[in-house]
Amino acid sequence: MVTWSKPVLEIEGLVVSYGALTALQGVSLTVGSGEIVVLVGPNGAGKSTLLKAVAGLLHPRSGAIRWEGEELSAIPPHRIVERGLALVPEGRRLFARMTIRENLELGAFTPRAQAEKSRRLDRVYEIFPRLQERQDQLAGSLSGGEQQMLALGRAFMSAPRLLLLDEPSLGLAPRVAEAIFSVLGEFHREGLSIFLVEQNVQAALTLAQRAYILEGGKIVGAGEGRSLLQDEHIRTAYLGPLARGGQSN
Amino acid sequence: MLWALLGLGAGFTAIPLFTESDYLLNLGVQLFLAVALAQSWNVLGGFTGQITLGHAAFFGLGALVTRTLWGNGVGILLAIIPGILVCIAFSLLIGGLAFRLRGDYFAIGTLALAEMLRIIVGNLLPGISTIPSTALTNYALLPRYYLGLALAALVVGVAAALARSRIGLGMQAIREDEAAAAASGVGVLGHKLLALVISTGLAGFAGGVFAYYHASYYPQYPFSPLWSFEAILMSFIGGVGTVHGPVLGALFYTILKEYLAVRLVEIHLLIFGTLFILIVLLLPGGLVEVWTRFRRLVHRGS
Amino acid sequence: MILAQQLILGLLVGGLYGLAAAGLSLTFGVLRVLNVAHGDLLMLGGYVTFWLFSLWHVDPFLSLAAVAPSLFFLGLILYCVLFRFVVRAREEVRIKNSLLIGFGLTLVFQILAIQFFTADERSVTTAYGGEAIKIAGLAIPLVRLASVVLAFLVLAALQIFLNRARWGRAIRATAEDWEAASLMGIPVGRAYLWAFALGTALAGVAGGLVSVSYSISPTIGLEWTLKALIVTVLAGLGSLFGSFAGGLLLGFAEAGSGLLLGGAYREAVGLGLFLIILITRPQGLFGSR
Repeated sequence: MVTWSKPVLEIEGLVVSYGALTALQGVSLTVGSGEIVVLVGPNGAGKSTLLKAVAGLLHPRSGAIRWEGEELSAIPPHRIVERGLALVPEGRRLFARMTIRENLELGAFTPRAQAEKSRRLDRVYEIFPRLQERQDQLAGSLSGGEQQMLALGRAFMSAPRLLLLDEPSLGLAPRVAEAIFSVLGEFHREGLSIFLVEQNVQAALTLAQRAYILEGGKIVGAGEGRSLLQDEHIRTAYLGPLARGGQSN
Repeated sequence: MLWALLGLGAGFTAIPLFTESDYLLNLGVQLFLAVALAQSWNVLGGFTGQITLGHAAFFGLGALVTRTLWGNGVGILLAIIPGILVCIAFSLLIGGLAFRLRGDYFAIGTLALAEMLRIIVGNLLPGISTIPSTALTNYALLPRYYLGLALAALVVGVAAALARSRIGLGMQAIREDEAAAAASGVGVLGHKLLALVISTGLAGFAGGVFAYYHASYYPQYPFSPLWSFEAILMSFIGGVGTVHGPVLGALFYTILKEYLAVRLVEIHLLIFGTLFILIVLLLPGGLVEVWTRFRRLVHRGS
Repeated sequence: MILAQQLILGLLVGGLYGLAAAGLSLTFGVLRVLNVAHGDLLMLGGYVTFWLFSLWHVDPFLSLAAVAPSLFFLGLILYCVLFRFVVRAREEVRIKNSLLIGFGLTLVFQILAIQFFTADERSVTTAYGGEAIKIAGLAIPLVRLASVVLAFLVLAALQIFLNRARWGRAIRATAEDWEAASLMGIPVGRAYLWAFALGTALAGVAGGLVSVSYSISPTIGLEWTLKALIVTVLAGLGSLFGSFAGGLLLGFAEAGSGLLLGGAYREAVGLGLFLIILITRPQGLFGSR
């Protein structure tokens, strides 16, 4: 496999368990600087667990999570954000009883992000004009697609260098999902590294430079994004007509 | 361990044969009331995990009914039974509704209920309640002592039997994980109601003994939240959810309180309050846990 | 006329119920910890005002400037020493332990107050204490009116802080979803600390106002905790002004029922109302979302 660039995020032998249940059993992967890496896999494979562990919401039992050489697994989530990792969590987790503007400004809570707050706010409004139009409305009043835009914008406000996304297209109409992916592409062109968990394998692999396949808590395959689209296992398990039916939640 | 409790009971039965000290007999009655309060709370709060802050309501209710009947010439044993029955009836009346509440809400709901009763009783019966002068002249400690002992023995016996029964296991399953208990076929509401009935019935009995023992008090006094607090405190000091814990806690509490009260008057409650908080945070198993840890250590050593 | 007079007095005491409830619902809403000792913190605040007045003749309203920071400080200590250890526990343990700790604190504060301040009922009696505004034959006690106005202003200031300030928003975000808040870079533990200390300071200010408008004694804690709980259940979490309005409503309802059923039952009516609401909304304050 081609090494693209110097890795910024390195995960090595990561084991995470919930009580007696082991969700991740020794996962290793890397994300290079300026790369888009996608992680695919069936429900319950441990994809969200992996992202939560990187963001500091879960404590691994063993293994290493390194960000530019620094071990992250003992660092609390708010300090991980300061280092430039931002997670857009599953289900978006917006502050529904706060306004859109307040949500965005909270995204820039860390001192480092505070310095860039107004510039980034302008940028978010430029990308998502809908959010500016409705900036004083409660986040809870937005439609699904708008909520995802806000979640993305809120993460962008924290001045991240690596964006972690947990199923950003989940539950969205195809056209809206497409818009979200195109924004991710734009972020990437501006130099952001992106690590994406996605059920929409076709779109994700088209966008990604590299991909990993996670099944049953283990990495069972890896490769370049577009070439994986031709992979037999991927085609039958994730892209075939049968798989579509099973994955459409 | 059960033998220790039986031995303790036998010992207390024998004490009046050797001494007629009013001091010791009074202390004994207080201890028995403490055991009954703690253990009856423990059935609901410890075994079944339903933390109630309103235990005093039933202690007070039992005292109120028994005192009223007894004051009007009914024999004390006959007067206690209606007290218990009123508590059970009242608990069944509120139980179905109270158990719709969970966690915080159950706790504060029971607290509010007890306070409401206390205020109403205080308003309806503002005067001090004194036992009739004939009873006062014939006042003897010994029957109070043995009635108290019988109460304590009954309460501990019920708790011990419960702990070994299927029903007791069901109650503990509810404490550990209500959803899982329900899924494995434990009738949650039925078990909770039974725990409530047993707990409040025994508290009502304790209230009856209180009414028989104390010559004069304000009718709202046994409704005071302090009684709920003491019950919880003793259970936790001894070991919540065990049979021995509340007995141990009551012994420890009553004796230390007596010892401290001589010297430090009110400060003893301060000490117990602090001790209680420390136990909740650092030693959730109470004295019983200390004992088992100690035994394990000894076993490993030998 | 008596009716109107009683209802006005009910509203005036209700304003302080609201202030007490606002502090309770702030800690409950953010930490998900129900502090049963809230009324005892209020009682301590009342004593600070009382002693500042009797020892150094500090005007009771002025003394709030000392009450708030000292209770804030007490809140910091209580959080760091006790509540810090329960906020992150799993839900049942958190509920159980925080209740029990609060119950223990109630006793500790009460006994401390009896030891140091005696069990006597105290109240601050200022030179202007007896004055009243007379409108259309109704007498509105000046001090009580000033207390309610001040309670409202304190809540307004706090609401502005929560809406505008960086940390105020952090507290609101933490209340809504602490995990998401931590993903924004908010140190959640710090937000809990601020919220708890602010709630304690609010209790203290309420206590100061109670000591000048009414009276305090070491045993008033539970009564005020229950008032605050009733209002919180009535008004829900999330809005300080909601708490204030709920307080006014409770004061009004108490006064009204006192007139209908006789003064002896006014307390019990509030509690009865409380139980009815609890039972009709058994899923709790967080369940309805």
